[in-house]
Amino acid sequence: MRRKQWILHKDHLLPFLRKLRKSRSLVAPVRNSYGDTMYTEMNDLDNESIELAEQPQNSLKSFFFPQREKLCHYSVDEAVGDSAQAYRFYPSLPESRAVVYFGVRSCDMFAVMYCDTIFLGGRERDVYYDARRRNALFITLACNHPFENCFCNAARTGPYLEMGYDLQFTDLGDRYFVEVDKARGREVVQQWPQFFVPAGDDDRQAHYQAALESRGLFRRQVHVDLAVQLLDQGEEPQALLAELSARCQDCGGCAFICPTCTCFNIVDQPLSDDRGERVRTWDACTFDGFTRMAGNHNSVQIISQRVTKRFYHKLRDDVLRHGRSSCVGCGRCVGMCFGGVDIVRFIDGLCAADDKRSEKREDGHD
Amino acid sequence: MAGLATTFGSGAMTNSINELSSAQVILLSGSNTTEAHPQVARRIYDAVDQGARLIVIDPRQTAMASLAHIHLQLRPGTDIPLLNGMMRCILDENLVDELFVEMRTENYIPLRDLLLTIDLNEVTATTGVSIKDIARAARIYARAQRSVICYCLGVTQHICGTANVQSYAGLAMLTGHVEREFTGVDPLRGQNNVQGACDMGGLPAVLPGYQMVADPVVRDKFDRAWGVCLSDKPGQTLLDMTHGAGSPGDKLRAMYIMGENPMLSDPVLDQVEATLDSLDFLVVADLFLTETAARADVVFPAASFAEKNGTVTNSERRVQYMNKAIDPPGAARDDGWIIMELSRRMGYAMEYESSAEIMEEICLLTPIYGGMYHDRLIDNWGLQWPCSDRAHPGTPFLHKFSFARGRGRFQPASHVPPAEPVDSAFPFLLITGRSYHHYHTGTMSRCCPTLNREHDKPFLDMHPDDATRLNIPDGSRVQVTSRRGSCKFFLRYCQSLAPGDLYCDFHFHEAPVNVLTLSARDPEAHCPEFKLCAVRVEEVI
Repeated sequence: MRRKQWILHKDHLLPFLRKLRKSRSLVAPVRNSYGDTMYTEMNDLDNESIELAEQPQNSLKSFFFPQREKLCHYSVDEAVGDSAQAYRFYPSLPESRAVVYFGVRSCDMFAVMYCDTIFLGGRERDVYYDARRRNALFITLACNHPFENCFCNAARTGPYLEMGYDLQFTDLGDRYFVEVDKARGREVVQQWPQFFVPAGDDDRQAHYQAALESRGLFRRQVHVDLAVQLLDQGEEPQALLAELSARCQDCGGCAFICPTCTCFNIVDQPLSDDRGERVRTWDACTFDGFTRMAGNHNSVQIISQRVTKRFYHKLRDDVLRHGRSSCVGCGRCVGMCFGGVDIVRFIDGLCAADDKRSEKREDGHD
Repeated sequence: MAGLATTFGSGAMTNSINELSSAQVILLSGSNTTEAHPQVARRIYDAVDQGARLIVIDPRQTAMASLAHIHLQLRPGTDIPLLNGMMRCILDENLVDELFVEMRTENYIPLRDLLLTIDLNEVTATTGVSIKDIARAARIYARAQRSVICYCLGVTQHICGTANVQSYAGLAMLTGHVEREFTGVDPLRGQNNVQGACDMGGLPAVLPGYQMVADPVVRDKFDRAWGVCLSDKPGQTLLDMTHGAGSPGDKLRAMYIMGENPMLSDPVLDQVEATLDSLDFLVVADLFLTETAARADVVFPAASFAEKNGTVTNSERRVQYMNKAIDPPGAARDDGWIIMELSRRMGYAMEYESSAEIMEEICLLTPIYGGMYHDRLIDNWGLQWPCSDRAHPGTPFLHKFSFARGRGRFQPASHVPPAEPVDSAFPFLLITGRSYHHYHTGTMSRCCPTLNREHDKPFLDMHPDDATRLNIPDGSRVQVTSRRGSCKFFLRYCQSLAPGDLYCDFHFHEAPVNVLTLSARDPEAHCPEFKLCAVRVEEVI
């Protein structure tokens, strides 16, 4: 059965968002006063400007998994002494607010689905993530114009989504082509039917045309599939990893900007002698302290293997575990890394080495 | 600063950081660039990727030294003989840019006479670098069209810091590697706004924009703007203040310290402590209660960089606007607010509405900042001074067509041995520096759990040969003692040092390295010899 498709006229976007905001908070890409576009919670629809022509610098990760999150606070009863009984813990759960995420890019939507498998997919659901995630509604925006570093076509997460969204908007000039996937999206259309006109054949043609054109607009050719295949065949590009590790400047920017890097650390931060907070903070596998053990032993040779775990996790381990690579092709690490140690460079290096080998093999046959 | 000012006429980076990636040869000295200036290191990687040759002068095998085509691993504090050796090779091989020397410089003959007395075997004996490597480095540097020199605190924090800088400047002038894009002499500043602090008159003898206090015309201009009568006497340097060089008559009675922690960062901490304790009144403004703030009569909680609007000026003279990202916590206020309130209550009302209004006054009174209005700096990467008026596009590289002081001046120099040579009682030379994860005295960075996890202990790096000889295992607690004091570290075996040298960084209050260092300093810049002192090492049992 073909899913119902709709048209929302652009003039009616703001009125539509205003209705949505009556029962939900709204997060959208907003250009701030110093020119950066970020996914931001909007407080004022009329005076903040939604920016749909730029790639948001952040992903949605921090909305569900904040960089620093209080898990609980504790108190120490000094009268009891220093034993375990002296500690009392008081959980602190985030409230489960209804939030609509508007203008979400395909790669970022895919990243949320990946994070779901990490935080909600196992035997134990992460209650903190779940509280923030449970009442989220996603209105995605298909990418008609991929950005400079994008390679979602190669990572198979975009530029158009086939599933996973509540509503997917496609810009057709004066109107949005609206597709519905999840039940929550259908409910929205049913709740405010006045905004949505059924899409006609012309609209479907225009939508198909836009999807075709956007596929031709990628500026990078990144062979994600080949890299995954090579790693799966047991390729271990030690020299390339050592070269990239030497150039890695250990800032952790790649992991922090990455929409699918979910490693964290938990630390207790004393606020005074008798109380404190237990907080969870983002962490990165490229840090020395991530794998360092007591006695300063480190199972990872930091100098030559610093970035190994990161690339293997994305392109090999997650393929084995979840059936697909967890790099969504957003290209943010390419813009972020100042050592030039981004995932595209790794994939290019891996594939180039393979090209050289096959050339040699061919020469051998001659 | 003083070194470049006397040779070129301006004490700042001659180029832009971006130009580095297009250089053909980069000579890097006394800089652990990947750890201290990663954004500069990135350009050096780019340059090397594009085929540039990298020469590193450093007593340690830093990451940059590993990348280098030639690493001149000199003995600490022997930059001048090494450079004299290189310049002698350049002279011998007819690589001097004679036209440039003739047209654009002065005082060349004394330098040439000095170079002719240099014995390269002696240079090798002093520096520990082979004649072959010196000659190769000299040839590579001199022959390329676009050669650039970058140096950092490893060059300046010596008793001969000014002469060191003058020697590097001399090398650049001798081969004509100044005044053009991609060539020059670039000091890398230690912090994000050291350049800005100097530009704004944070030096004893100058008012904003390096206008001399001693000049009556300059004073008159500021007198009229501020409605006061300024003193014609230069102020004191930090070390004069904390180490009481002034005569007993003008003993310091009160201090107001902002965002500085001399109780950890200045040499001979005992003396700093005595000075601070002898003050009648000490005021400190800082984010946290530092070692210095703990001794203050009044502490002002100051706002951090993320909590205020304003500009910073980086190494390449670029004035950049920074936006306030979050509100200051609690009663914290930005330093400008604190100063204005203090001033008002002391009877001189400063009524600036915003940092933009202060910047307007800077534009009015400081010729090199003449066009740096806030509205020109917002939404872009800022402007590089000199920028004389609103229409001026800024200046990416200095000394185009002519040095700021007219002709570049050669300042020949001879070897100045370290102030405290090693002897049998103190057989090791201790080099101090900075590590990647911490900033200065750790006031901020040690409060961040992730950064502190990455580096939570004070390490002392020692060559394994030395450690084996002393029979101290890796990871042991060791006590390091100099003539002035001692502190404890964890020993770390380290191949990147030459035997006989030790290295540690100064971020840790548990190991206040500056109880060890000495206050001997450069006669012109007054920068202390932080980098070197003689010590002995014992295992703590």
